[in-house]
Amino acid sequence: MASFTHGNITIEVDEDGFMAQPEKWNNEVALALASTEGVTALSEDHWKLVNYLRDYYTKFGVAPMIRKLCKETGFPLKTVYDLFPSGPAKGACKVAGLPKPTGCV
Amino acid sequence: MADAVDMAIVDKGIDDSIGKLTPERIESVIRRVLDKESGARLQVYVETCVRCGLCAEACHTYLSRDKDPDYSPVAKVKATLWEMTRRNGRVDGPFLRNAARIAFTECGTCRRCSMYCPFGIDIAYLLSTVRRICALLGIVPQYMQDTTNAHSVASNQMWIQQDDWIDALMWQEEEACAELPGALIPLDKEGADVMYSVIAPEAKILAQLIGNMAILMKAAKVDWTMPSADGWDNSNMAMFSGDYEIMGRVERAHWERAVQLRVKRVVMGECGHAFRGAVYDGPKWLGWRGPPIPMVHAVEFYYELLSTGRLKIARKITEPVTLQDPCNIVRGRGLHDKLRYVVRALCEDFRDMDPRDEHNFCCAAGGGVINCGPPWKLSRLKSIRVKAEQLAATKAHTVITPCHNCHSGIEDIIGHYKLGMHTKFVNELLVKCIEMPGS
Repeated sequence: MASFTHGNITIEVDEDGFMAQPEKWNNEVALALASTEGVTALSEDHWKLVNYLRDYYTKFGVAPMIRKLCKETGFPLKTVYDLFPSGPAKGACKVAGLPKPTGCV
Repeated sequence: MADAVDMAIVDKGIDDSIGKLTPERIESVIRRVLDKESGARLQVYVETCVRCGLCAEACHTYLSRDKDPDYSPVAKVKATLWEMTRRNGRVDGPFLRNAARIAFTECGTCRRCSMYCPFGIDIAYLLSTVRRICALLGIVPQYMQDTTNAHSVASNQMWIQQDDWIDALMWQEEEACAELPGALIPLDKEGADVMYSVIAPEAKILAQLIGNMAILMKAAKVDWTMPSADGWDNSNMAMFSGDYEIMGRVERAHWERAVQLRVKRVVMGECGHAFRGAVYDGPKWLGWRGPPIPMVHAVEFYYELLSTGRLKIARKITEPVTLQDPCNIVRGRGLHDKLRYVVRALCEDFRDMDPRDEHNFCCAAGGGVINCGPPWKLSRLKSIRVKAEQLAATKAHTVITPCHNCHSGIEDIIGHYKLGMHTKFVNELLVKCIEMPGS
């Protein structure tokens, strides 16, 4: 378990950089996590993705299918990768404060 | 000495369960596996090994850990299964905690060591037997156990529901048709030449790989289908967690779906362990002579389509590429020459790794090691420095990885050792290179 500091906040993360305590997520934390993914600012489109992931995870306890993410946000897959270059699972989910998905990923 | 930092790693799936075990339960489970499940095979291996240590130089963890003898395959077996055998199952919690760490996180069951063993002892089988014991005792890394639970409940490793699965396929059909008109994904087509099956992460995260396959199937005029219901996920993490009862169920469901659709053969996506589960470990556990229908790995299928001219190459990838040999389809199936045929057909500047083919080093992610999740990531990366050195020496920009575990594992290596490369599946290169019909 490691932690990193961004501005005034310190976040505990696992070895993959995902939040150790997803319940402590807030907008400021999202910005800090984004900085670890090479995303320096979060645009309106970034927030649309992040908020959708966050809501889905809060309701169902898992990350949504990539299909759902694209359908509900209206973004084609390419846009998701443009916004989060490391992809929906390792990039967008991390910024939204989800734990690392289990499985062959 | 084994790395003290790694020995102190806390994993709920292991640590929380150990305290609940009684000495009687530990002994009875170990005796049951040693006497009833592994029997003669295990006995032969234990008695044949002359402790020569030739396996050590074959193992990426030993080489990457500065030749620390504790990381040689023989030492891993000695610290786990031999002691369990010698003490007749009378081992304690701290012993089991270390045994679980070794068996789940320091062996990818890649079987490179078996090739260098003068007797061909299947050392990976010995460490898998340790995992089996751990699974029956309920001490399995938490992240890995979650995938086994998902297999059990949802019939796939990522908790995907059937409607979501079908929705993902219909979406990818639309995407594929936008690239190549008529690139449909036929569901449940009885009697098709090919049933195509994938691992759940393709549907959940990397859906474009399914769309790519629809394009390739249309371009090569293949009569194919995908199943709409359980059995569509050909992956099997239970095989690696040691829960062989669930492993058997997963493999049976996959094959029953293929038989029900009366397809002539099953083609599977770019995954290594799924091939092993469907062709070897699954049928063996189920007491079958072999798979009921022929199973073809994607690499062999691409080879067939390219070498017979059903797919034609219109343009080649120009940037330098190298290639990872996935253990389960290279050491396990001998596909290295066909794989290189495909890569050379697609790429102008192919730089092979050294060593290569069946002698290539493991990605350190397979065998369920990457599935043990974030707690073990740094430990895994310390154990695979040799792969980083091997990759860097090629000076390639792209690493072709026809296996999901190799793909994610090498991505992690590239990030950790700052190699500045990226990984690709063959299917992603194929759709860029082939001649599209009508163009």
